Order: sequence, then structure tokens, then C-alpha cells
Amino acid sequence: MENVATDENWKTCFSQLAPGLVLFARQWARSSADAEDIVQEAFVRFWRKQHDIANRGLLYAAVRSIALDFLRRDNRRARRESTAASETDQIVQPMFEIEDESQRALVAALDLLPNEQREVLVMKIWNELTFAEIASALEISQNTAASRYRYALANLKKNLPPV
Amino acid sequence: MNDFSEIEDKLRKLRPVPPSADLMTRVERALAEARHGDSLHRGKRSTSTAGVLPREWRLHFNWLSLGLGLAAAAALVLFARIQFDRPVKKVPALASLTPAPQFSSTNSTAQFIPAGLTQVVYHTRDEGLHFPNNSEQPMRRVRSHTRETLRWRNPTTGASLRVSYPSEEVSLTPVSGQ
Repeated sequence: MENVATDENWKTCFSQLAPGLVLFARQWARSSADAEDIVQEAFVRFWRKQHDIANRGLLYAAVRSIALDFLRRDNRRARRESTAASETDQIVQPMFEIEDESQRALVAALDLLPNEQREVLVMKIWNELTFAEIASALEISQNTAASRYRYALANLKKNLPPV
Repeated sequence: MNDFSEIEDKLRKLRPVPPSADLMTRVERALAEARHGDSLHRGKRSTSTAGVLPREWRLHFNWLSLGLGLAAAAALVLFARIQFDRPVKKVPALASLTPAPQFSSTNSTAQFIPAGLTQVVYHTRDEGLHFPNNSEQPMRRVRSHTRETLRWRNPTTGASLRVSYPSEEVSLTPVSGQ
């Protein structure tokens, strides 16, 4: 396969994918550090297995799988800290670089989305995956992926305050 | 264009917080350790390519297979024993793997004879794709919960004995990533 793990090509791939992957992992992780741990594990595992980097659906499936396992392993602590984390993460460890109030409102509206819609949105907007790749990663049909994306946008539009 | 192009543009202008500076270093170190581990595993057969995968996952998988095999073998032995002890004539029974036996005149008053084994799968959950330790490809994990009930009956006194226990089975099915 093509992606032999030389220093050059893994760094190129990772630097391109890392911000979106970390953002994707943040949906299940309660902190940036946890999200980075998840991405690190998924990427190393993916790279070592020499999967084709073009198969991004598989990479995101790996991140999701590891994130869910991480959640299960850490469930007790997660329950204990969930309230505090959900309240403080947005302040201490924001997921986006917010430049103005309209972006702040947009991020707040994003937080209100159901998880299944938000994960499709994150994969589509910030990771530029196709619906086919999203469908592959989430094990859903392409139509479902597209529907969730449209619902997410509609919900965002509805929840955003008028300009 | 669609009705959502404006909101899509706004979303694209949102920039995710970049990962920490040391993430790349950590991944680099992890990959280096992985390569070192691969070399150790491959030993003298090691080549200069990075294309050979570590195979330690097979050990884990084989242990799982061994465990499942042993469980299946134990169930077979139990089942065979019940079949062996059971009288010849069979009467089919609903949801029962072993039908109710016909009793012979040689039974003593204190003898319990197997009357049936029932296995009910009451919950099956598809847990999606997983990557067991160092596996090459994703595997679908399906967890099944069953309840097995063994019954014995004393034909002379009419007394019956029933043992019921829950069991759980996890099956891993390789899934092609392409």
C-alpha cells in the first residue's frame, strides 16, 4: 500500500487532518487533552495498519470507536465530572477560535444540536468528508447522512438569533 | 446553491482550535515506538520496509477464539451428556432443545432424569465497529445475552429440578474497510 510510514508523509497527512480530527473527537471527550489522546491513538493505529489514507471514513470510524471505548472505560469518572465539564469546557477549552459575537452565537447554537447531527456537521464542514465517507464512518446510509446534515443546518438556522 | 449556503459559509469561517504543539511530537514518538515494537516482534525476519504489520493482535484474538471454543465445547459436552442419559423416544417441545423424555421402568425412585435444556436469546446488541488491540481491520462486535435452563424430573415422585443461569456471548466479525 502507498502510505509507508516515513517521517515526511505521515507528518503531512497528520498536520492536515489533526485539527478536524481533534474537533471530531471533542464531541465525546470532555477536554482537549482527552481528544488529542484519542486522535493520537487512532492515527497511530490507522497508520501502523497501513490503511490507505484516502479511506478517510475508516480513519474517522477509528476515532469514533476509540472515543466511545474511552467513554465507556471512563464512564464513572465521566458521570461524576459531566456537569462541571459541560459547564467549564466551553469557557476554559473552547472548540473554536471565536472572533466576534455572531460566531459566539453560532457556537452556542452548535452546542444545542443533537449529537448525531453535530457529528455529521463536523465531518462535513471542518473535515470536508463526502456523504459517502460520512456514511461509511458512521455506518449509516448516504441519504441518512445527508438528511442529518440538512436537519443540522435547519436547526442552526432556527436557533440563531436574528441579525 | 441552497437555502443553507449562508449558514454553511458562516460555519466554514469558524476555525477549530488548533491541536497542542506537542501532539505531533507525541504521535511521532508513538509511531517510533510502534516501529521499534514491530522490529522486536519480527526479529530476524525484519526487513527495511514499514509494510509489515505487527501481529501481536493475533495472540489476543487467539485467546478469544480459544475461550469461545472452550465455552462451545463445554456446552457440547453438557448437551451430549443430557442426550446420552435421556431415553430414546423424542417428543418435540416448543423452545426446547431437548424434548421431554419417556421414562423407563429401570428408574429408581431417587433418580432425576434430564427433562430438557432451553436456551433463550433475549437480547442481542450490535455494538458497531471496533478495533481490538492492534487489529488490522475493524470488527463488528455483537453481544448476545442468553438464559439457559436445565431441567430434571423424577418420574416416580413427579419432583422436578430446574437450574437457570444467564450467559453472555461476544462475537467479533471482521468487516472489510473498502
